[in-house]
Amino acid sequence: MRQVLTNARLIDPETGLDETGGLIVEDGVIAHVGPQITDGTDAIDCNGRVLSPGLIDLRVKTGEPGTEHRETLESASRSAVAGGITSMVVLPDTDPVIDTPALVDYLRRAGQSEKVLNRIYPSGALTRELKGESLSELSLMKAAGAVLFTNADVPITSANTVRRAMQYARGVGTHIMLRPEDASLATGSMNAGAFAARLGLRGLPVQAEWIGLQRDLTLAEMTGSELIVDQITTGQSLELIADARKRGTKVFATAAAHSLFFNELDIGDGSRDPDKAYLTYCKVNPPFRSEPDRLAMIEGLKSGQLDAIVSSHDPQPPEDKRLPFDNASFGAAGLETLLSALTSIVADPEYELDLVTALKAVTINPAKILGLPQGRLQMGAPADITLIDPNGPWKCVREDLRSRSGNSPFDGRLLTGRVIRTMVAGKWVFDAHSETRA
Amino acid sequence: MSFEYAFPHHHLLGIEGLNRLDIEYLLDRAESFIGKKSTTKTLTGKTLINLFFENSTRTQGSFEISAKRLGADVVNMSVQTSSVKKGETLIDTAMTLNAMAPDLLVIRHGASGAVRLLSRKVDCAVVNAGDGTHEHPTQALLDALTIRRRKGRIEGLKVAICGDILHSRVARSNAMLLHQMGAEVRLVAPPTLMPPGTDTWGAASTHTNMVEGITGCDVVMMLRLQLERMQGMYLPSKREFFQLYGLDAMKLEHAADDALIMHPGPMNRGVEIDSAITEAPNSTITEQVSMGVFVRMAVLETLAQTLDERRSSGEGR
Repeated sequence: MRQVLTNARLIDPETGLDETGGLIVEDGVIAHVGPQITDGTDAIDCNGRVLSPGLIDLRVKTGEPGTEHRETLESASRSAVAGGITSMVVLPDTDPVIDTPALVDYLRRAGQSEKVLNRIYPSGALTRELKGESLSELSLMKAAGAVLFTNADVPITSANTVRRAMQYARGVGTHIMLRPEDASLATGSMNAGAFAARLGLRGLPVQAEWIGLQRDLTLAEMTGSELIVDQITTGQSLELIADARKRGTKVFATAAAHSLFFNELDIGDGSRDPDKAYLTYCKVNPPFRSEPDRLAMIEGLKSGQLDAIVSSHDPQPPEDKRLPFDNASFGAAGLETLLSALTSIVADPEYELDLVTALKAVTINPAKILGLPQGRLQMGAPADITLIDPNGPWKCVREDLRSRSGNSPFDGRLLTGRVIRTMVAGKWVFDAHSETRA
Repeated sequence: MSFEYAFPHHHLLGIEGLNRLDIEYLLDRAESFIGKKSTTKTLTGKTLINLFFENSTRTQGSFEISAKRLGADVVNMSVQTSSVKKGETLIDTAMTLNAMAPDLLVIRHGASGAVRLLSRKVDCAVVNAGDGTHEHPTQALLDALTIRRRKGRIEGLKVAICGDILHSRVARSNAMLLHQMGAEVRLVAPPTLMPPGTDTWGAASTHTNMVEGITGCDVVMMLRLQLERMQGMYLPSKREFFQLYGLDAMKLEHAADDALIMHPGPMNRGVEIDSAITEAPNSTITEQVSMGVFVRMAVLETLAQTLDERRSSGEGR
């Protein structure tokens, strides 16, 4: 089947292509792309909107298997394609933990169901049951389809375990993704500092991130391994990573989109609006940091020091969020706001962030990290694309989100830029207009 | 004394958000109860629920006596946190109580922000009787009333608040209130128990040396030290804490001659305060407890009044 799209602002972040033209899809791949394509039978006129490769999200949690009331692969995929995300890596901290080849295989197959609208890539638990005590069967799990290995949000306290895991993973030829955190320091519920002290909340100090990061970078250098640093939140973390790169360590750094958008004050103390205090939808880990750190993250994206921006989608039901701040769970729904968070920053001239640079971090960069053929608007690449209105304003209302859990810190926020249509493997899986009619 | 001032708040959730007029109004109103032979039963027909998720004999008792003096019906509900933890959530509890249509709800909870969370789910007036390590506004008001009666003013006084500042809701509320009223607030604590950013509460200075902190002070306010702190690597021992931060006659010499000695209670004698000091003429410890009743009467009456006004204007249910 052949489909023609015309009059689009074509953006290919890998080549830097940014010009008006069209695109032809045949048999699930991009057959032609370029300014010369101006019409065709049943061509879809894109009205000058942005045609980008579909987004690739390296960090998504669902509740499948085990806690399907939070989210299923199906509900997550519906939410994802509405946010332009055509590929996503799902984390292994489910119930049971994905730590055997059979479970990886199960997830891979579940992801191929017709009801799942985008591409699902399972990740495997780096250690059995995420306990940090013994290695999972990395090679067998890789063969079953695990694209990377991580201990998700459970810190590995033993440096020796991390060293062995890195050495072993290097032999297997797979990726390790670790969230930098010193568990003994990180015992609070929001960014440590004056604001937390005033609210009477225990703090998660930035130093917990730096100590964890320094350890992981040191061990990556020691073992000669590549490392994906999972979600940094501070300017100093970027400096630590730059130092490690200077010494020749191969490091990829990611950040959650919400950490570029919010700072710690968004949790609220009720001084401006009595209803905006102790907002548990803003309780995430790593937490929203200070304003200088938020700005440093945006700078990191602009300079290319941040390789990938992730949604860090973590669905949490109301019963785990409608609690006093200290007792509420961590996590934010993020699939539908990943792109809009970025386009909102692009739309604000103060930040001087261009759209092509922003899209790199959610398309070609994660594609290259995982060695995937998509994430490109190029001939022969899979036809995973998304049509974006980069200036379209909308208000995020949590009840309207497609995720089973609406725990979005963006609830009530005005955002700029949203997805109009999304295609996965040549098939339209999301259309904002037809959905509104239905 | 007339009370023409329209108190602009539906609840008393903290000192933060109150301005000087609000505070003076509550203090004046509390003072008007002092020495009265009989009290007008302004809360007759009103129901107050004491909802305490943390045990407290004195604060709960103080609210109960205050409400009963004004003629309210009082229901005490002590909720064991453990049984609430799973099953019925905090918000479910609030909805259940709300359905019983109380007029005043006094809440103490171990988590910061919990009282504010509950206040958003109920139609009645809510008083924060202590939330986690956040605020304890009636304690700060009763301390202020005690100081004002003894010293005749608050403005211009030097007040040292000493002890476990980090975990103290009393310290936060007091620092904000005293600063708002024009006092110079100094905080004294070991470095492990001193939180960052106390200037945002209005503290003028912080001290890890107690003598330095209380030198020349008109008021020395001690805080209760939770004995669990010895386990959390905050402090090595009670005796070392007493030596460095316990208020005794030798340290007290550095304060002003007529310095008030205050403590919110219950005291750990020999830990944060020397027993002998508690009996001194300048010690206001039992007086604070007495003032607590008057302050809470003022708060309850004020909030009941604003609730009635809201109800008659159709705003509240």
